Amino acid sequence: MRLIGRTSITRRLALLFVTASSAVLLALGFVIATSVEKHFEQQDMEVLSGKMELARHALKTFKSQDDLDRVSQLLDNSLVGHHGLELIIFGPNHALLFATPNANFPFDMMAARAAQSPHRPMTWLLGDQTYRGIAAELPTGISERSRVVVAVALNIAHHQAFMRSFQQTLWFFVAGAALLTGLLGWLIARRGLAPLRAMREQAQVVTAQQLSHRLQVETVPIELAELAQSLNDMLARLEDAFHRLSDFSSDIAHELRTPVSNLMTQTQVVLSRARDADQYRSILESNAEEFERMARMISDMLLLAKADNGLVVPSRETLNVAAEILALFDYYDAVAEEKGLQLSVEGDGEVSADRLMLRRALGNLLSNAVRHAAARTTVRVRVHTDQDAVSIGMENTGDGIAQEYLERVFDRFFRVDPSRQRSSEGTGLGLAITKSIVVAHGGTISVASIGKVTTFTIRLPRVP
Amino acid sequence: MKILIVEDEPKTGDYLKQGLGEAGFVVDLLRDGTDGLHHALTEDYDLAILDVMLPGMDGWAILAGVRKAGKDMPVLFLSARDHVDDRVKGLELGADDYLVKPFAFSELLARVRTLLRRGSKGSATEFLRAADLELDLLRRRVTRAGKRIDLTSKEFALLELLLRRQDEVLPRSLIASQVWDMNFDSDTNVIEVAMRRLRAKVDDNFEPKLIRTVRGMGYVLESPACA
Repeated sequence: MRLIGRTSITRRLALLFVTASSAVLLALGFVIATSVEKHFEQQDMEVLSGKMELARHALKTFKSQDDLDRVSQLLDNSLVGHHGLELIIFGPNHALLFATPNANFPFDMMAARAAQSPHRPMTWLLGDQTYRGIAAELPTGISERSRVVVAVALNIAHHQAFMRSFQQTLWFFVAGAALLTGLLGWLIARRGLAPLRAMREQAQVVTAQQLSHRLQVETVPIELAELAQSLNDMLARLEDAFHRLSDFSSDIAHELRTPVSNLMTQTQVVLSRARDADQYRSILESNAEEFERMARMISDMLLLAKADNGLVVPSRETLNVAAEILALFDYYDAVAEEKGLQLSVEGDGEVSADRLMLRRALGNLLSNAVRHAAARTTVRVRVHTDQDAVSIGMENTGDGIAQEYLERVFDRFFRVDPSRQRSSEGTGLGLAITKSIVVAHGGTISVASIGKVTTFTIRLPRVP
Repeated sequence: MKILIVEDEPKTGDYLKQGLGEAGFVVDLLRDGTDGLHHALTEDYDLAILDVMLPGMDGWAILAGVRKAGKDMPVLFLSARDHVDDRVKGLELGADDYLVKPFAFSELLARVRTLLRRGSKGSATEFLRAADLELDLLRRRVTRAGKRIDLTSKEFALLELLLRRQDEVLPRSLIASQVWDMNFDSDTNVIEVAMRRLRAKVDDNFEPKLIRTVRGMGYVLESPACA
């Protein structure tokens, strides 16, 4: 199909129709022509062998050499008189006994065929006339050894003319039929492909504002239903991603609105009248803190934006999970101690991961656990290696998370308690980042909360 | 110490120049890539800070030109884009560090000082001192006004960092990275708590107070002699 290249299906189908119908018609024409020709041959043979039989009977009645000499008179009446029939008779010594006016047989046929089967006809061309004839050696009534060679032939020019015109007609019809089937094929294909055009029209309706529009799978033909379904699935994925993106954008705007408005008000109030250096310093310091948090939020959001396009794991190395957890314990040790928290890790496992990313993912979880743990409880990390994965469970005892929020804790900017929104710490992106990192490493993350105990579980592929 | 800055964004350039100038560096600020390369080649700088996107010639081209001329001063890149490709490209071309905007000025200052220190030989000192505080690196002991102070190993590392870089404001991210090897921004006030505990041991019962919080920037250990 390379030759046809990028043509329309309609054209392609019409072409295929033409090819198929021409082939069938040509084959049919060939079969008809062959059988007609065979039929003519049979007809000719009937005439020829009839005449030959007549000659045989006549010759049997010949009793003397005289009869042979008078053969022309004898045969004239009985054999001749048939239009287009030619006859020639040679006597015992190849003496010409009789010949019709136009009789001109090829000599080798006379010699060879006469001795062999007399019923295999031969066709030849004489001038612009075609002849078909047979030859035979026939006994006479004179004696056993007195034999004559008889050849009869029919002018078959009219057969040939018929065949020629038949073939012409045939070609004409094949060409006509090809054209007609081409046209019909084109119409049929157009009609048959109407559902595709309908789908195209439906698809044209889909825009960024109308992503919820779907192709109607029930109304399209069965063959297209799967395609329509896949397109719908694609649309659903796009819609989901698009919504998340636009939600994210509005979240960003919303999250930045508060600090920016704080900064603006604060700065403008301070500028509204002259103040002493300490007050300026204090406001600048406060601004610096706010800016720092905003900068952190921006870099976190950029990381998540990159994660949406598939986060690249920069460099993988084999890491001991328990060792990483202990390093993180070291980091959060002071904070935990302030709250009277115990940090404990059990079990072990090895994963292939980027150290910085893994630490960040686990660090966010641990920081989350430490922050939400009730005073004087234990934050427990359980590492467990099974057949194909290392699971890291991080458990803290605190307020617990209500079931309806569990699914949303990994959403960006989601906070169980909205009043904590602007707590001095945290961008609300920590768990979303953890999830992105885990997913980038081919793992999964889940959360369960039973009573006061909340457990986050990360599963990462184990090092084989 | 002479520093070359090539930055086309007017405010960023001005504040970098002012900030680094006030931190005691001699700063040349250029706003265009071609001029930047010309200066880098004709004058002697201890360090160059290059923006990636510049009019005339981009930061990569300046770096390539500088290295081609055989100059091996440390080069720090500033970029608004954070692509792994960019970092890799920078490192391949011989950049020494890469900071993504927005960055904290204290972070930049700390990195500049680190890069400048890299060239000089590490001091093989046994003792670090500030006022009457003394840290014995070999015996891992800390005393203040002759009194022994017990520190955890992380507190010791923290104090060592503050003493080694005294009078420098150290941003939280640098402290987390140097002391705990945590190269990410935690949203918990880990450093604040650790610092508070260290101060309780080192500063609370003594005068003068050595460790100071610089709001919005980080922490600094100031030796009274320098102040």
